Amino acid sequence: MIEFHLDRGSGVSTYLQLVHQVRHALRLGALRPGDQLPTAREVVESLAINPNTVLKAYRELEREGLVEGRPGQGTFVRRTLGGATLAEHTRLRRGLEQWVRQARGAGLDQDDLNALFTAVTTDLAKEDIA
Amino acid sequence: MIWLTWRQHRAQILVTAGFLAVLGLLLLGSAVEAKLYVAEHAPPSCPAGTAYCGDLDVAVALGERYDAVYSLFGWMPLVLPALIGAFWGAPLLGREYERGTHRLAWTQAMPVRRWLAVKLAVLGGAVVAGGLALSAMVSLWRPVFRDGIDSTFGNIGVFNMVGVAPAAWWLFAFALGTAAGTLFRRTLPAMALTVAGVAVAMFTLVTLSDHYAEPARTVLTGTVVFDEPDARLVGATWLDPAGREVADPPSSVCPRRVDAGRSSRNAEAWQACLFGKGYRYAVSYHPPSRFWRFQWTEAAILTLAAAALGGLAVRRTLRRRA
Amino acid sequence: MTPVLETTGLGVRYGRTWALRDCSLAVPRGRVAALVGPNGAGKTTLMHTAVGLLKPSAGQVTVRGEVAFVAQDKPLYDGFTVAEMLTFGRRMNPRWDEEAARDRLGRLGIPLERRVGRLSGGQQAQVALTLALARRPALLVLDEPLANLDPLARHDVMRAVMAEVAAHELTVLLSSHVVSDLTDTCDWLIVLNGGRAQVSGDIEDLLDGHRVLTGPAGLAEGVAARTRVVAASGSGRQATLLVRDRPVLDPRWSDRRPGLDELVLAYLRSPGSAALPGPARQGVGA
Repeated sequence: MIEFHLDRGSGVSTYLQLVHQVRHALRLGALRPGDQLPTAREVVESLAINPNTVLKAYRELEREGLVEGRPGQGTFVRRTLGGATLAEHTRLRRGLEQWVRQARGAGLDQDDLNALFTAVTTDLAKEDIA
Repeated sequence: MIWLTWRQHRAQILVTAGFLAVLGLLLLGSAVEAKLYVAEHAPPSCPAGTAYCGDLDVAVALGERYDAVYSLFGWMPLVLPALIGAFWGAPLLGREYERGTHRLAWTQAMPVRRWLAVKLAVLGGAVVAGGLALSAMVSLWRPVFRDGIDSTFGNIGVFNMVGVAPAAWWLFAFALGTAAGTLFRRTLPAMALTVAGVAVAMFTLVTLSDHYAEPARTVLTGTVVFDEPDARLVGATWLDPAGREVADPPSSVCPRRVDAGRSSRNAEAWQACLFGKGYRYAVSYHPPSRFWRFQWTEAAILTLAAAALGGLAVRRTLRRRA
Repeated sequence: MTPVLETTGLGVRYGRTWALRDCSLAVPRGRVAALVGPNGAGKTTLMHTAVGLLKPSAGQVTVRGEVAFVAQDKPLYDGFTVAEMLTFGRRMNPRWDEEAARDRLGRLGIPLERRVGRLSGGQQAQVALTLALARRPALLVLDEPLANLDPLARHDVMRAVMAEVAAHELTVLLSSHVVSDLTDTCDWLIVLNGGRAQVSGDIEDLLDGHRVLTGPAGLAEGVAARTRVVAASGSGRQATLLVRDRPVLDPRWSDRRPGLDELVLAYLRSPGSAALPGPARQGVGA
């Protein structure tokens, strides 16, 4: 079961924070298909937020096809997030490990590695948009 | 709602009931003691158990023995209604306003008018019952040593302690306190106004009571002493031989000299002279037979005033000024 | 949907001054409405009229269903025990959920035999709230429910109210002069100013319907002519405008969605009679 938390100073609206947290949990595998999300009342009791905010977040997740509301039972996870299958995950991870070893051999430290990785992913993302 | 009335006002109810019980025991004790004293000291010629027959000695002695009780007793007609008004009436609405709890009590499903009606009926009823209990106790107690010389009519203090007067006074004071509570919305000033109001009302009614009925009139010759101990004197005046009222008989008729000290020799001589010249002395008074008429008149005035004050309190409460 | 609370042309007068004037608004079922405004704006007067403590001098107020009220300072009978306060509630209300009330107090760890006067401020607030909720009202009116409470008690009170909204179809009207208390809890906004309703509507719609524009002061007048400016402020060469709608802008202007407190402040700073082209008095987004 996922436990929500709020970052009140973030400027991100409350319902979006809930949506992001569910997506994040799906990506990391903390939530799996069939898992139940907490009821609006449970979320409200722990966070002291308006129940309509929770319902709005759940509606958004439902719209994205990530969860489904079953009348009288609650809201359940329908599918997981993450573009790749488990097998692909393993294969890609191996490739990345190899790349990291090569980079270390070339004398890059942790910060250099991070900077390079971020730069590449950002540039590729820009290319995609363009 | 009756539970709530009891829960909120049980302190006043219990203290008043306790006071009446203690007073009852005190009166009972003193009555028993007085009876024994009378039996021991009454002249053998008197009928058994009577304190007074022919001479006042035993009654006077009894009066002295109970001087302390009497002086306490003398304050009761004024003090008790004032206390009832201050502690039963003033907090009824004054305290709710003061603590803001009227916003709690008057926003429940129960309508405000019913909340108020039950409180006024229950507490008003209890106050009347208390007043009647006091009256009953005093009426039973006094004859024990005032038998034959009792003055429940002539003495206004006593008059207000017997019959229906105490109940009427208590009810009036309760209503006054309740109305004062809505006026000030605080308990303490409402209490002060209530005490002052009861005192003013008592003074006013004492003055007013002479007019409850047309005074009876009797014309005395030979004496200015009106021999009716329990009557209420309203006024007295001299009548000249022609029957006209004269405020001050002219000194040309009978010369008057001022008495020295406590002597009344000169005054008596002057009165004798006037009677000798055909002057008479007219006394207007209310005879004790009017006891119940006066009781009911006073009770009616007080009950009407209580109803008016209660109506004012109800109106101010229902008008909804949060 | 028929509103649970509705006022039309509501006016309340104390002597010769109007505490509330020509006030028309509605709160739909299931909403948590924030009633905000400066002191003396008529918030308490509006609430007292809604719960029947005051009679309107003009217009009318309609509540569909039972209304429960927790007044400012959460009045209770100090000399009563908590259990006696429950008895009070039970005897004053034909509809009364004793079990839920005892359950709530038990979960909060408030002893039933303790005198109300000896409870902490937060516990007293919870007892007052429990009395109101046990009546299973359609509308719950809370006058400054968070005032004089420490942060933990504030959180607990709001949690309790929100849980009740989630569990039953409860509509809430609550007042506060601290807007940040209301951001996550309320979904409806009513701004009262000088005895008049200035804004009434869904908070998300309101925020979506307004923009904060920042740009060169010299161009402010031109922008103001093309849109409805709620409030304007500026320091030197830069101007900040809170406007309704979304005008087509010169690229020198930046624009963003306002926060709730920004929106409320903008309206409070410029009552309808201000020199700037103000909003329509009946409010926006409704």
